Amino acid sequence: MNKNIILYAALLIFGLAAPFIFPAFKVQLSILCVLIVLALTWNIQGGEMGYNTFGNILFYGLGMYLCASVQVGMFFPLAEWTESGGEKTFVHTPTQFFQGMAMGLVVAAVIPTIVAGLIGYSILGLRGHYFAICTLGLGVAAGEISGGIEIIGAGQGFTTPPFPDVGSLEARGEFFYFLSFMAVVLTFITVKSIYSTRFKLILNAIRDNEDKAEAMGIQTMKYKIIGWMISAFFCGLAGGIMGGLVGYIDSTDVAFDGREMGVFMVLMAILGGKGTLWGPVIGATVFHIFKEGFWTFFLGWQYVALGVLIVVIVIYFPEGIMGWLREKYPERFGEVVDEADRKAQVELK
Amino acid sequence: MKINKIILSFISAIALLLSTSVTSFAKVVGDKIVLGSAISLTGKYSSNGVHTQNGYNMAVDRINSMGGVKVGGKTYKFEIIYYDDESNPKRAAQLAERLISQDGVEFMLGPYSSGLTKAIAPVTEKYGVPMVEANGASRSLFTKGYKYLFAVLAPANLYLDVAIDLAVEKNGGKPVKIAQAFEQDAFSQDVRLGILEAAERTGSKIIIDDKLPKELNDMAATLAKVKAVKPDVLVVSGHTKGALTAIRQIAEMKVDVPMLAMTHCDAAKLSKQHGKNSEYALCASQWHKTLSYKDKFFGNGMKYAADFEKEFKYDPPYQAAESSAALLVFKDAFERANSFDKKKVRDALAATNMQTFYGNIKFAPGGQNVDKPMVLFQVMCNADGSKCENKVVAPTKWASAKLIHPIPSWSER
Repeated sequence: MNKNIILYAALLIFGLAAPFIFPAFKVQLSILCVLIVLALTWNIQGGEMGYNTFGNILFYGLGMYLCASVQVGMFFPLAEWTESGGEKTFVHTPTQFFQGMAMGLVVAAVIPTIVAGLIGYSILGLRGHYFAICTLGLGVAAGEISGGIEIIGAGQGFTTPPFPDVGSLEARGEFFYFLSFMAVVLTFITVKSIYSTRFKLILNAIRDNEDKAEAMGIQTMKYKIIGWMISAFFCGLAGGIMGGLVGYIDSTDVAFDGREMGVFMVLMAILGGKGTLWGPVIGATVFHIFKEGFWTFFLGWQYVALGVLIVVIVIYFPEGIMGWLREKYPERFGEVVDEADRKAQVELK
Repeated sequence: MKINKIILSFISAIALLLSTSVTSFAKVVGDKIVLGSAISLTGKYSSNGVHTQNGYNMAVDRINSMGGVKVGGKTYKFEIIYYDDESNPKRAAQLAERLISQDGVEFMLGPYSSGLTKAIAPVTEKYGVPMVEANGASRSLFTKGYKYLFAVLAPANLYLDVAIDLAVEKNGGKPVKIAQAFEQDAFSQDVRLGILEAAERTGSKIIIDDKLPKELNDMAATLAKVKAVKPDVLVVSGHTKGALTAIRQIAEMKVDVPMLAMTHCDAAKLSKQHGKNSEYALCASQWHKTLSYKDKFFGNGMKYAADFEKEFKYDPPYQAAESSAALLVFKDAFERANSFDKKKVRDALAATNMQTFYGNIKFAPGGQNVDKPMVLFQVMCNADGSKCENKVVAPTKWASAKLIHPIPSWSER
């Protein structure tokens, strides 16, 4: 237990100090935080519950649009802000910017949670491939619909409020880094604490055999919806932060970006090891570093390199990094291995 | 838990990796002025991204071989760091940040497309990094009060409104019926606004107003409607793919419409790829090689086109020409500022007033080029359709051919 506290303290200090140790990488680090949040929340469905969702991007995109809309709408007419030909220039004062952002993030987290609760009842009734296909459609539909809504910029896109001038060039990077780092910490604590309760066991029961779980008297639907609402809350939050960080929201390329973010969150969780607490964190980190590296050193070939990486993962680490480690060093994961058992396995091979 | 050790060692490995991977170029290294650009080498804008990159490279080579840039009595050469933004605004914003804060770039060249420029502009603005861009035409770029953004091109709403005026003129001054279909992206939606304004001005009616998805390769539904309601003008804008899709399906479905107005015909190499099928298409262009603008680096448009073709084996679309012009603007500004101070270069850029082979360049306070009109050309083929060319038909000052109107029906072609 003590060792755990040391580890978490070390991580926390590292996280807090990171933007000062690597000042040039603040944006990449912030994006890494967002990626970790997405992977962690995807894992609740995909890993623990066995529901492979491609729909979490819906909450992420919703959060992004909501946060920016609230941030603008609180102080200026939203329609004039997003109108392309508008001759007026609106500028947020620092107080307006931060107040708007705070309020925006609250809305960005709460509304998607409610949406998840509302649509969850019908969609979570589907299973297996049907669920995956249905959620895939959700993200695509949301992208197309939002691309037609004039008040949020439609196909023109939505420029989020520029960061106010507070005297320092580094302020924007630091602000968004700490915001996203806080989101990671919050998500991690929440996920860790729910994983130590009966809730996780119920999710696992649903994954392993939903009918049996139901036969045992578990109201599976209730837990599935609650699980999805938790994911939606943090996905929305992550979306809101990402919108401010990118500075420009496009319906299909930035907000409801199922083709990239929507797939990445699945990949990261699988790479790290789905169904584990640390898997998504490690997966997201490795994935992000590889991607940034490919980008620099294999310009033009980055997706080929990424494809090779995925193939390698699927063939050599089908259980992800954590799964592979667990198989290799079971003792380190606190599993008791009987020597005779292991020998028997070796002989079998 | 032993797993702690694994995680801790993992983190320290990452820390090590991060700290060793900082490579820094300064803006001016030795005799080089390093410019940065995020460009779409992959993704839906990749063909136009490559036109942009070719335009940049061609100008860099030309300026460097003709004496480079003289600042403070010393001669410098241009160099560009490129990254691939994958046609994604999120990536573009991130790359701009990376170019500036990691690679130390202090002068930027624009990406391809309005959407990506919109994503990058807040970043360059924040750092006070002057950006000369050649491919972001959306009007909303110029109403945000950006101080460090300079566009060598005319804004998107001016692309096709001339076509509506032409149609009205050909209709004996009476209002026309317009059918329009635009991709859902920043640029095309701005072209649409221009049409809406032109329609209002001329009292014309818009009878079809469709939105096309990004990555479009099918617009049969719109064309079926066009066949049914017979508008006087069909306006389509959706970058290169939009132009190719429209021509392909109009020919397949034998859609007859008196006037077809589009964007990106030259970038899509329509006249080459679709030959006779693309005949009579009316296209908005920022530039055409037959225009009589001049400068000392490229001579004139015809010379530029010939040199470009020699190097890249295709006729330069305006996207390449305007990109080359961006470098000429930078060179001019550096020399007038006689300094590498970002603020001074910015002020010099704002005071730009020059002629290039691509056209006159003079920036409005918003950053758009106000000294260069758009041109319209029409694809015209010889009798057997073996050779098709783009001929400028409007404005009359530059016209090298007369507009063919109405377009003959498919049964007669």
